[in-house]
Amino acid sequence: MAAIGAEVFFATIPELNARLTSKEIPAEDLARAFANRLEQLGPRFNCLALPLPQQAIRRAKDVDKEIKRGRLRGPLQGIPYGVKDLISYAGQPTTWGAKPYAGQVFDYSATVIEKLDAVGAVLTGKLAMVELAGGGGYRFASASLTGPGLNPWDRTRWSGGSSSGSAAAVAAGLVPFSLGSETSGSIVTPASYCGVTALRPTYGLVSRRGAMALSWTLDKLGPFAHTAEDCGLVLQVIAGKDGKDPGSAGKSFYYTPQYARPLKELKVGFAPVDFADRAEAPARAAFAAALGVLKDTGVQLVETKLPPFPYGPVLSAILAAEQASIFEQFITSGKVDELADQGQIAGLKASLELPAKDYLKAQRVRRLIQDAFSRLFAEVDVLVAPGRSGAATKLDQRLDVGGPPAPAGAAPGFQGIIPAGNLAGLPALVLPCGFAENLPVALQIVGVPFAENTLLAIGREFQARTDWHKRRPPGM
Amino acid sequence: MKLTRRKLATAVLIPAATALAQTAQTPPALPRNPDEEMKAARDRVKAMGDALAQQAVPMATEPAFQFKA
Repeated sequence: MAAIGAEVFFATIPELNARLTSKEIPAEDLARAFANRLEQLGPRFNCLALPLPQQAIRRAKDVDKEIKRGRLRGPLQGIPYGVKDLISYAGQPTTWGAKPYAGQVFDYSATVIEKLDAVGAVLTGKLAMVELAGGGGYRFASASLTGPGLNPWDRTRWSGGSSSGSAAAVAAGLVPFSLGSETSGSIVTPASYCGVTALRPTYGLVSRRGAMALSWTLDKLGPFAHTAEDCGLVLQVIAGKDGKDPGSAGKSFYYTPQYARPLKELKVGFAPVDFADRAEAPARAAFAAALGVLKDTGVQLVETKLPPFPYGPVLSAILAAEQASIFEQFITSGKVDELADQGQIAGLKASLELPAKDYLKAQRVRRLIQDAFSRLFAEVDVLVAPGRSGAATKLDQRLDVGGPPAPAGAAPGFQGIIPAGNLAGLPALVLPCGFAENLPVALQIVGVPFAENTLLAIGREFQARTDWHKRRPPGM
Repeated sequence: MKLTRRKLATAVLIPAATALAQTAQTPPALPRNPDEEMKAARDRVKAMGDALAQQAVPMATEPAFQFKA
């Protein structure tokens, strides 16, 4: 077996690809090393749902044969990865992070897994998540079949949700990349808390066939990785038309940073209050410095306001109505009572009582929101805000109440950017941008639909000027 | 409004430096039993509807989901 140093576990996809195609490291050895590491260290962070070492090694052996024959399939060939346990993998349990579904097995794999398999990526395991992606509204981090997601930077802190394991596994170097999902915040939050790069794609760009449905009109799948470039390389593979996903936009994505607009032409909208009074005090210095780095990339920072809408209630009404329909039988049968979180149980039950008029009103307001964002994006190219206003919450902290309040009279800033971006189907890139109390904090860059290459170009330049994305958790 | 680095520092850092001390938010008490839990969840659903009712929507605005014939 080739010697695999610790640096390999935090290598980028192009770095690993170079070692594989030069035959310095066989794919089988890489798969064994990552599968062992995931199996050994995953439980330390409650981030492992299901190890798949045998399947991974078998697939990696095939990849080695292909490379030996000179059949190269692109940068993901032979690269190990993990998926959130709401993405089905044929013949293996897909628990949706919930005890009542612990024995659930699908006879087909999700489209994203089929696409990654076709280019030779190697699935080494399934990753933990908040039960049912948390749509009922959970109160504590412990709302998961595998226990609370523990943050690799500090195990007394939460790794975020609901794609807890997808973020933690990348942060700890247990997989080079992973897939997670977002309905509202489930990629942005764990990526911010764990200090990894992640991309929430435009709604409809990535097929959700084979992934648990929580909200048909909001759900997205996206990558977590070490760099913006890695996210682009993964997105290029998993994006594309899928006739089996009614929400598919029918568009492909080609990662083409060389054709991105010059950064000096880009107008970046921001609200100063988000980086000051509305940020938690320990994080302000990091956010201010990150904004300075962004300015140095040549972009034009422009003060902007979000259109005023009740984003939270609009998103909550749509999510409640759609999940109530999806999980109706689960709720009315009483199986819902087997969930771990009492808040989530009650939230799912109450969602059955949401009036149809409220769902329709929310979807009509959503149309206004979409139009308002179209107008906003005529003035700026992207928006920037903190990923979260501060560092990861403590494990026992209640999640159904907000963080520290902003000072009285503080402007609203981009409060609501997460539900707003999800309601309008906008892509977002999360970039680690510093530390607060020894925990990572991050920026989110939000763009117009299908502007992923613009976001990734900004991310690449930001990461060329900083090394936050290269930092490793203690002991890793 | 285009920002220079000086304006950026003024906009971001000075308000933070002069901000009032943030006080810890007292969370509402945890529901003590399933009935209280359900009441709290129903109250949240009602609050959603109340918030939506405040939002004016032109009569011609159609919902933002798609149906393709």
